[in-house]
Amino acid sequence: MAASCVRTVGSFLGKCTKCSSSINTVATQVLLSRQVCVSSALCRKNLAAAGPEKFTLEYIQKQVEEYEIGKRHLANMMGEDSENFTQEDIDKSIAYLFPSSLFEKRARPLMKHPDEIFPKQRAVQWGADGRPFHFLFYTGKQSYYSLMHDLYGKILKIEKHQDRLRAKGLFSQDAQLISLGPSRWLTKEELELLLVETISTHDYDRFIKLMERMLAMPYSSTEEEFVQRYRRQLEAQSMKQMMPPLEKDENGVAFSTAEGRRKTSDSSVILRDCGSGHITINGQDYLQYFPVLQDREQLMFPLQFMGVLGRFNLECTVSGGGRSSQAGALRLAISRALLSFLSEGDGEAMRQAGLLTPDPRVRERKKPGQEGARRKFTWKKR
Amino acid sequence: MAASISGLLKPWTPSVFLVRWSRYNPYYLEPEVSKEAYSRPETELSAEEKEQRELKALRPIKAATSGVTSSVFDDPVISKFINMMMEHGNKVLAREIMTQTLENIKKKQVEKYHKASEGEREVIECNPYTIFHQALENCKPVVGLASIQKGGKYYQVPIPLTDNRRRFLAMKWMITECQDNKHRRTHMYEKLSQELLAAFGKEGNVIKKKYELHKMAEANRAYAHYRWW
Repeated sequence: MAASCVRTVGSFLGKCTKCSSSINTVATQVLLSRQVCVSSALCRKNLAAAGPEKFTLEYIQKQVEEYEIGKRHLANMMGEDSENFTQEDIDKSIAYLFPSSLFEKRARPLMKHPDEIFPKQRAVQWGADGRPFHFLFYTGKQSYYSLMHDLYGKILKIEKHQDRLRAKGLFSQDAQLISLGPSRWLTKEELELLLVETISTHDYDRFIKLMERMLAMPYSSTEEEFVQRYRRQLEAQSMKQMMPPLEKDENGVAFSTAEGRRKTSDSSVILRDCGSGHITINGQDYLQYFPVLQDREQLMFPLQFMGVLGRFNLECTVSGGGRSSQAGALRLAISRALLSFLSEGDGEAMRQAGLLTPDPRVRERKKPGQEGARRKFTWKKR
Repeated sequence: MAASISGLLKPWTPSVFLVRWSRYNPYYLEPEVSKEAYSRPETELSAEEKEQRELKALRPIKAATSGVTSSVFDDPVISKFINMMMEHGNKVLAREIMTQTLENIKKKQVEKYHKASEGEREVIECNPYTIFHQALENCKPVVGLASIQKGGKYYQVPIPLTDNRRRFLAMKWMITECQDNKHRRTHMYEKLSQELLAAFGKEGNVIKKKYELHKMAEANRAYAHYRWW
């Protein structure tokens, strides 16, 4: 599949450059041998730990060399600079040369570095005499148990340090707990990737418990570097907000445009910093378009929350959906347009008030064998 | 399953359809709509609230529903009551009934105020919102009954109720009472205002129902140890 695509691309390029013989024979050799599923890294299963290694180190090195040569040929073919040919350029070129309209993205032709295609696998764990290298080999999960062993060793070390301080009389309970910052523990899948081994949920829970136990002990800041290896940083959500740009029209009035969606309604809003507070929707006045108070309240919500009710003029267009979903779509568009007039702190407050999240709730489909989405047919005993 | 937390941040559909699931990932937090929560400076907060604030800065937040606003006129209890009164999705009608009820309560109380003598005027409550909240408080039962099977028979066992359950029962009793036990020609808002004013004064059918429930719970006190949770 994926690697066979690599090989066919390699053979295709080889034909182009008239050095076909070596690459062709490799391709035919591999095609004649046993079919192996090589796109396992894309299948998101930890096949690395599944069994003894399927690909020898030399084979993978050869694949890497072929990939590098193929990359240079591809760059030459596309007329680009072969030194600075990035992976994105490769993807674009392959999409151009082998256009595919298959819906399954993983079935399309691809050319990636063999490290991404072939799963990471462990080298052979025993020497020529059959004796394993690692002392925990016979546990079956040597990386996991050696990690737990190291962790417990560190706990004992911290306890010994505490005893020494107690003997000197310098022990204090609240000293030097590790400050981790906004971060989270590695998930089970990430830990499996790190250890190149499958572990069960029970093992993962025990690992986290032992880590938490170590963190709760005073004087644990000595092991901070070890702990940070198993934590990932969490970035603040407010960084991910996209603000519409603030523009100025001919009269010098600042305005911004934004769009919003809710259920099947689409809306677009132009917020002008005029100072009058008029609202026009699809050419009509908002009092006429939304006779129900609840919808008008929803339009006012972001402006009232920020305290800028009379300041802006709204020119809105909305289509699709019912009256409540149109009001919701307009509210989202107004909140987004308002972001460009406000500071960062206000934007964060709006996000925490739930004004900037698009509502994902849509109509649930009807299922076969039932009358509606949830309602079942009347149950009859006979 | 997503291999990283970033995969959990988008709206998702679980691969197995559970009975009660939400379009949001469990990672999302509830929105906080009131303006006052954001105007408090750092110094006034306790340690827990500071932690909450930090957590909110890192996690994605659900969208605010279409029934809530940050306006001073928005009351979560009243919104819940309106939703419970609503039938076939007719929110406009339910809200209309609610506003008429509150208007009616205000009218009656103001009439009473003007008719009363100087000494009694201070005691009369004219704010319909306080009357509504107080009436609902008076209707909330303290203990409830659960049907537990033991030795082949079903016993009514007294159990403690959560706040949500108590509020729900009070509202439900109020609404069913007003829908069923009234004269054919009275409007819903009339009957509701009568019932709410009665509950405010600790009289009326709903209060009676609450006391009956309490009496049953007291009578079945002997079976309280059948509860295992």
